[in-house]
Amino acid sequence: MIGEFFRILFAVLVFPGGLFAIALGLLLKGVERRLVARLQRRIGAPLLQPFYDLVKLMGKITFVPDLADTNVFLMTPLIGVASMSLAMAMLPIAGVYAPSPMLGDLLVLFYVISLPALSLMLAGSASGSPFGAIGFSREMALMLAYEGPILLVIVSVALHVGAASGRGPMFSLAEIVQYQIRHGPLILDWRMVPAALAYAAFIPANLGMPPFDIAEAETELLEGPLLEYTGASLGLLKLASAIKTVAIAGLGVALFFPNGPGGVLGVVAFAAKCLVIVGCLSVLKAAVGRMRIDQAVVFYLRWPVLFGVLSLAMVAIHV
Amino acid sequence: MTRTFDIPIGPLHVALEEPMYFKVGVEGETITALDLYAGHVHRGIEYLTAKRNIYQNMVLLEHVCSLCSNSHPETFAMTLEAIAGIEVPPRAHYLRMIADEIKRTASHMFNVAILAHIIGFDSLFMHVMQAREIMQDVKETIFGNRMDIAANIIGGVRYDLDATSIAFLLNQLDQLEPVLRDEIIPIYATNRSVLSRTKGIGHISRADCVDYGLMGPTARGSGLAYDVRQVAPYSAYGEIEFEAQSLPDGDVWSRAMVRLKEALSSIAILRECVRRLPPGPISAGPLPRIPAGEAIAKTEAPRGELVYYVTTDGTDVPARVRCRVPSYMNWEALKVMMKGGHVSDIPLIVNSIDPCVSCTER
Repeated sequence: MIGEFFRILFAVLVFPGGLFAIALGLLLKGVERRLVARLQRRIGAPLLQPFYDLVKLMGKITFVPDLADTNVFLMTPLIGVASMSLAMAMLPIAGVYAPSPMLGDLLVLFYVISLPALSLMLAGSASGSPFGAIGFSREMALMLAYEGPILLVIVSVALHVGAASGRGPMFSLAEIVQYQIRHGPLILDWRMVPAALAYAAFIPANLGMPPFDIAEAETELLEGPLLEYTGASLGLLKLASAIKTVAIAGLGVALFFPNGPGGVLGVVAFAAKCLVIVGCLSVLKAAVGRMRIDQAVVFYLRWPVLFGVLSLAMVAIHV
Repeated sequence: MTRTFDIPIGPLHVALEEPMYFKVGVEGETITALDLYAGHVHRGIEYLTAKRNIYQNMVLLEHVCSLCSNSHPETFAMTLEAIAGIEVPPRAHYLRMIADEIKRTASHMFNVAILAHIIGFDSLFMHVMQAREIMQDVKETIFGNRMDIAANIIGGVRYDLDATSIAFLLNQLDQLEPVLRDEIIPIYATNRSVLSRTKGIGHISRADCVDYGLMGPTARGSGLAYDVRQVAPYSAYGEIEFEAQSLPDGDVWSRAMVRLKEALSSIAILRECVRRLPPGPISAGPLPRIPAGEAIAKTEAPRGELVYYVTTDGTDVPARVRCRVPSYMNWEALKVMMKGGHVSDIPLIVNSIDPCVSCTER
């Protein structure tokens, strides 16, 4: 029992959560910045710039605005980082890491990964800034739009894996990964392709990247909920967003293509898959402008929902 | 639950290059009220002109605004030339037009680039700014400066083009034109990201444009084809054939497209000017004494009609210099354009009138 506790603690703080996720997340951010810069014919910041930024921010004073609710204002960045480290600890990496069953299944993970968005909303409303408030309402509208499709994706995968192994819906992520290692990745299953597409559409919205960087829109809302944050608090928010990049990419990998070698090579393979996802996001970022919130909501209620339902229906019929 | 609150856009805002304060009343994401507050960078330039002699004023007026920095001293010089009856040599007229069109191209491309930046399409922003750099190089090479080119003097211009600089200019135009015509304009005309954010946004009708006295590409985007270069040709614009660009829709997209097409037509005008460039002196030479009198002159600045009214009293210090800048009227139109709009469109609509705070608050 005590051993299990320390195992979970290690998973949250060191690997795959905590230190590992921070390092990988910041590196991915650096790659993204550099790649986007190259696509725009710029040189771009050094690959390690996010690390430098973080170190600098951590050494600075956090300024709490007069209108802000101090406790909530300072607490929300911590919630973001903590929930994301926990989410990382719940993500299996094929051949390398299997999460403790005590941490809960896919449905719990689904709620944990929505925590940073919630904390961002809280941050926006607690900051006392009208930009934060608008960012809050946009983040909420966007979340309501993309949470539905992602739930459809999760249920499709659970039903598919459950049916294939002759049981009910399988919400254990470790089992889903095990199934794919035995029967090949789900992305190669044509019934799961629409679900994978729906998940792909969910990634940029959840990470607040173009064309869905609506809640933080720099030229409209001056970063929205992040506007009033400074110093270490801002650093923590950036940190949460870096870990989130790994977690959201990692969940996609676990759901659809976890296969890879064991040991250190497995970690490298995982990082490489995340890198491919971030590379695609960077190309998207360089290729499109920002959507308006109403356009984004309509987009999510149309295509990802359609794809999610399609996968679900195909899985259900084959049952 | 309806909740209205005010959001402050400005005085310092990412999407505004200059300080201006918009108090926007919003209900959710919809704009319900708009108030403008100006005056943050008022420099009292009109007052200062009455403290300086005309030569110093040429320099001072160049600093009214960096994007129209050629139009201000040019128009001021035109009033003095009218008062003193100075004959500007033909070559100087053409050189003034060349300076004007170079500035116009760069100014329009700058505004259109900022549009891309505001909708979060930074790749397009970078692309247009890099293309604009071709024009910036022209300014730096021919005039020695990237923004304030100090081309005009009273009675003519201060620079001349020789065979080398003409070859350089034409070469740069050859580089810019295909990028503008084959890449940038088609992107703005067809890209979904751009169209979905700019089509039908910030609409103003032709009738409203007339009522508010709107100028320049802002009015031309609503089908009001009023271009000073055509209705009241100055310099040698009367000798050159070109079309005033206008589009009927009156939205953000139309105004951007008008600017892009004008930039393209400016390139054609530049080529024509270079081809027709007459020989002769570049200025009227030593100035006569400027007599007491008054005069008015107008030019087409990148943002629209720029009017100067000058009174002199026989000394070398003007008694009164008054300028009417296009941005001044265009600001008011924002209240029409923003009616019922979205919060996310505020910076876009503000940018679409190509506002010039330094012109407004001179």
